[in-house]
Amino acid sequence: MLEIKNLTKIYDDGTVALKNVSFTVPDGEFLVIIGLSGSGKSTLLRCINRLIEPTEGQVIWNGVDVTPLKGEELRQYRREIGMIFQHFNLVKRSSVLKNVMSGRLGYAKTLPSMIGKFSVEDQQKAKKTIERLNIQDQVNKRADELSGGQQQRVGIARALMQDPKMILADEPVASLDPVLAHSILSNLERLNQEDKITIICSLHYLDLVQRYASRVIGLRLGEIVYEGTKAQIMKLTDEEFKEIYGEEAERIGGNLIGTVKEG
Amino acid sequence: MAKKQSAQKEPQKPSLVPPIIASILSAIIPGLGQMLARAFKRGLTILLSFVTIAGLLAWRIYLEGRRYTDIKTIILKAFQFSPILRFVFILLIVLYLWIILDAYLTARKSNKGSRAYGSGLVFFILAVFFLLGWQIGDINMGEFFSQAGEALPTMGRLLWPWEKAVTRPEEILIISTTVQSPCTDVEYPTGEIKEDEPYLVTSPTCGNPTESDGTAGTEFTLIGGNFNPGQEVEIWWSDPIGNEFRQRQSGEYVKVMPDANGDFEIKVIMPYRLIPPVAGEGPKIWEVQGRQVQSVGKAQLSEELTLSVEKMIETIIIGMMATLFGVILAIPISFLAARNLMSQNFLTKSIYYFVRTVLNIVRSIEPLIWAIIATIIVGLGPFAGILALTLHSIAALAKMYSEAIEGIDQGPIEAVQATGANWFQTIVYAVIPQIVPPFISFTIYRWDINIRMSTVIGFVGGGGIGFLLQQWIRLLDYKSAGIAVWFITITVMILDNVSAEIREKYN
Ligand SMILES: Nc1ncnc2c1ncn2[C@@H]1O[C@H](COP(=O)(O)OP(=O)(O)OP(=O)(O)O)[C@@H](O)[C@H]1O
Ligand SMILES: [Mg+2]
Repeated sequence: MLEIKNLTKIYDDGTVALKNVSFTVPDGEFLVIIGLSGSGKSTLLRCINRLIEPTEGQVIWNGVDVTPLKGEELRQYRREIGMIFQHFNLVKRSSVLKNVMSGRLGYAKTLPSMIGKFSVEDQQKAKKTIERLNIQDQVNKRADELSGGQQQRVGIARALMQDPKMILADEPVASLDPVLAHSILSNLERLNQEDKITIICSLHYLDLVQRYASRVIGLRLGEIVYEGTKAQIMKLTDEEFKEIYGEEAERIGGNLIGTVKEG
Repeated sequence: MAKKQSAQKEPQKPSLVPPIIASILSAIIPGLGQMLARAFKRGLTILLSFVTIAGLLAWRIYLEGRRYTDIKTIILKAFQFSPILRFVFILLIVLYLWIILDAYLTARKSNKGSRAYGSGLVFFILAVFFLLGWQIGDINMGEFFSQAGEALPTMGRLLWPWEKAVTRPEEILIISTTVQSPCTDVEYPTGEIKEDEPYLVTSPTCGNPTESDGTAGTEFTLIGGNFNPGQEVEIWWSDPIGNEFRQRQSGEYVKVMPDANGDFEIKVIMPYRLIPPVAGEGPKIWEVQGRQVQSVGKAQLSEELTLSVEKMIETIIIGMMATLFGVILAIPISFLAARNLMSQNFLTKSIYYFVRTVLNIVRSIEPLIWAIIATIIVGLGPFAGILALTLHSIAALAKMYSEAIEGIDQGPIEAVQATGANWFQTIVYAVIPQIVPPFISFTIYRWDINIRMSTVIGFVGGGGIGFLLQQWIRLLDYKSAGIAVWFITITVMILDNVSAEIREKYN
């Protein structure tokens, strides 16, 4: 179980990205975070696994406050939480296999892993994970030779190598077309349902939110402005929608929310 | 996007002066009218171009006619010597008038809210510049084509120098006899006529050499026997102090073809020779020789060829050593020159700017100039070349490496950290794969450039094949120079392919 308590993040330049955010994520939830660009979704996700240091507040993971963790303890905490990214964040020039294996670094011994040696179990685990995500034909290719959807599946495989209890997904489908978006999200859904991995995922399209989320949190200017269950999501009204996305937001094509971004 | 559009559509403000006034202003100062007609950049460009063209023209006129004193003659003579200048002068007047007209049109367009000024004037200015360039560059196509024909034989030797790649050591048969100069009362003995050995005798056996004023010397009849039939015999002299030289008559070397028995007879005039006083007073003994190639040995690689090979190896070594030293020193420096690593505080930022500046200065000085400086310190030779190329490589590589470091994508680093990897693992898995391929690619590229550069660094004394090439060209030995040029070309071509291949892999 993850508990966020009074989380505030103020960047060095004075930007207040999160303001006193508190919520709880029970195990097994598929929590979706929505909000305008710049509302603090990425900041929130990165505060959870401490890629960004929160300015104030606590992140409590299974009863332990992880905000003061350092060194080895921090790494042990991090390896329980997988992360996938909008731009996949694969090491482009490395092979798919190497990218997948890097998900196991938190468990591996430093020296052997530095020369690319992993235990037999780790290697078998990689093989299984790769097959599970159906990228076995790509293992020896360079990561940047893959299509976007394949790259994101490598990203998921890398996260799975961590044996994560929770996966943070920062706009995992924003650089993919709608068909691939569904394919990637159903992968996450399967992990959520079969492996009981908690998912926290930021999304932009309302139809995807309605289809996959078990609960939704809406952020606006670093504050939680909406919280709703799956049933409530289905009946999200235009008023509530505008509450989250601001006055100028419109529904585009029925259920689709326009990704109201500049440029 | 909305912002951009509004910036583009921002309407042109009307001209500050009416079109006629703009014209008059541009007649006083070319371009001023346009500047005031809200086309400031256009006006400035016109002004600068006009002043530059007029200045260059004045300078060329002065250069052509500077032997004359009054301005009018200088101009007239310059136009006479270099008709292009007259043409440019006329164009300058046309340009002046055009600028005046353009000021009028520009002001009118601005008043109509348009920014679409004509570009004809710009092309015209460019054309005048190129015309001046033609004159300043002393371009003479006629000479190029008429002289090219005469240069063909030399070019031929450069392009196909391979006769000089092998030599056949020749054994020379030298048969000589002596004559006395001047004659004395005692008759000088003649040589021996032999039965089955080659011999040479003269008649008479004494005489006088040709005088320095051209008075012809004594004519000798040379009779030779038992030489190799069918092979030319050259006539040589050895003067009283032992200097050997070939007999020339009316500009040609004297040679004679023996008959089937190997016998010959030929008349030669005793040549002129300046005999220094050390030879002493009184009658002296000269030697006259018949020389014939007796046997030709096996073909061997010529000295020029082996020397070229040796120097080519030296050249490649210079390039490789310079690259090696360059890489070793550039890697640490590149970290100091990477903005993303050096922007923590004032001190690191200062180091960053200092290193960047030094690198830029070092890089902007050509390796050839560094080589000249290096030869002052360490003398001529390959070491000077290595020093020069190393210095330049450090500067160039450190810049490219630091750009690769600056270009590191933070995303993968973040992702690897998120898996729980420690610092070392993050460096190995997320940083090194991002910088090593560009490092390799840049290094190979440098290596390629260094070997090219090392082929010419010898021209200024930096060792390698350039030194040989330059010497041979100075000695007008174009065949040997051709061999060197061939080696350079082949090496560079191979290198080009290899380096392209390797870089392809690491892109
Ligand atoms: N490193 C940083 N330094 C300063 N300000 C930052 C930094 N990173 C983000 N911000 C600011 O914090 C706010 C929240 O940014 P964040 O990236 O979390 O938003 P987001 O909801 O993920 O937006 P998007 O949908 O565009 O990814 C923004 O105003 C952003 O400009
Ligand atoms: Mg974001």
